[in-house]
Amino acid sequence: VSQALPGALPRPRRQIWALGGGKGGIGKSLLTAAMGFELARMGKRVILVDADLGGANLHTCLGLAAPERTLGDFIRRRAERIEDVVVETGVPLLRLISGASDFLGAANIKYPQKVRVLNRIRALDVDIVLLDLGAGTSYNIIDFFLVSELGLLTVVPEPTSIENAYRFIKSALYRRLRHVASNEEVRQTVESALDAKNSLGIRTPMDLLAAVHKSHPDAAELFRAEIAAFRPRFVVNQVRDEGDQGIGHQLVAACARHLGVRSTYAGFVHYDEAVWRSVRQRRLFMIEAPRSLAAQDVARMARGLLQGETLELRW
Amino acid sequence: VSEKSGDHYDALGLSRQATREQVEVAYQFFAALYAESALATYSLLEPDERREARERVRLAYEVLRDSEQRRQYDAGLGAAHAGPVLEAPRQTGPRPVFKMAASKPAPAPAPAQRPLPSPPRPEASARARILPEPVTGPSLRKAREERGVSLQEIAAATKIGVRFLDYIESDRYAALPALVYVRGFVQQYARFLGLDPQRTSESYLLRFPRG
Repeated sequence: VSQALPGALPRPRRQIWALGGGKGGIGKSLLTAAMGFELARMGKRVILVDADLGGANLHTCLGLAAPERTLGDFIRRRAERIEDVVVETGVPLLRLISGASDFLGAANIKYPQKVRVLNRIRALDVDIVLLDLGAGTSYNIIDFFLVSELGLLTVVPEPTSIENAYRFIKSALYRRLRHVASNEEVRQTVESALDAKNSLGIRTPMDLLAAVHKSHPDAAELFRAEIAAFRPRFVVNQVRDEGDQGIGHQLVAACARHLGVRSTYAGFVHYDEAVWRSVRQRRLFMIEAPRSLAAQDVARMARGLLQGETLELRW
Repeated sequence: VSEKSGDHYDALGLSRQATREQVEVAYQFFAALYAESALATYSLLEPDERREARERVRLAYEVLRDSEQRRQYDAGLGAAHAGPVLEAPRQTGPRPVFKMAASKPAPAPAPAQRPLPSPPRPEASARARILPEPVTGPSLRKAREERGVSLQEIAAATKIGVRFLDYIESDRYAALPALVYVRGFVQQYARFLGLDPQRTSESYLLRFPRG
């Protein structure tokens, strides 16, 4: 029986952290596994959820065979409780809900099913749920991102990855705004903003805000609050030099200036041969090469995220 | 349209108290952000937007790196903010490195908003800070001449060529550069004369051809 000591901090609420990024092959699953490992090592009870339905491979990152029970079983109601599809990983405090061998196309999950999944995930008795989101900007992926307390956006220093990250940000934000819009006309405006070549000339959330403000100032006010509350955090993976590390700061500046979105820079992870070697052996580099640059980067980032710290430029 | 107005300090994300070194580092950062090959803006901005952003940053750097130019520029800013001000009060303390643009898309100033009282400067407060609508080149020239200011003085303080200032006063839109620059020019011009920079430039640009 734990008795609260005088002055002891209350137990922090359960949190959902989501790792998205829009593009495939940039190391999201590996980072999710590594972050989960590190958080568990720090004493947090963690469940990893492979929400990359159709392309799930989180179990492989952890060196596990494809689990028999998966998230798909819960979605299809072959498993009654979500706890029934949670499997052990072999790492203390770290467990997994796999998406392996689920051939659910992302589009196949209906909204009520998604709400059921999210509610059950939220009710899990753990400290942190880490969601590994699939590639792309489909509503399923974005909705998982939007319900999280902490939305991480992984990029690698490549044009395609960064382009997808911006697309992800806009899609997620517009989805959110569309959801809170109470007026049909405003909703229409948001939907047209989703078309990059829309006739209203809306290219950024700031443009959208200006367009909505003209006819519905109250809705614009609401949007402003939503945009201010939307705080994606960038993770730059596979950095090779200091220039690559700086990309996170550039993304934050570019988002603020040109999208009106207040993002932060959660951290970077070095490109590291040790990671590659571990992946080949289906072992987690956090275990195989705990002193590698990449492992240290992940540890620093996990600590920072727990303590609410971000990388900032000072001059 | 997501171009920014704002002053040279905004362009480099600096506070008014920024040191010479900070100006240097900030310039390096923003020059890299808007460089031709920069990953972070490559897919976000159109090539001409990127060029404009780069130009704005360069212009700011040219002025702020040079202590004499910066002193004159600051003096111009100071004069503009001495009179009753319709804009939000400026932060004077150290600011965050990146100005968050989320609060930026300002709706038209609310009519109910009253000018903030502030200590009057005799020569500035005697004159209207808002010119009658619409603001045109000739009305700007008239305001300037009433204040006994020459184009050369404005050019020296703002680093805007006399030629461009003359084009502005003559409404020679075709001879002027892109709208973003002209906005900056008119704002600086207005500021120097103690006119409200935002209102003045907005009104002037209503007649400026878009696209």
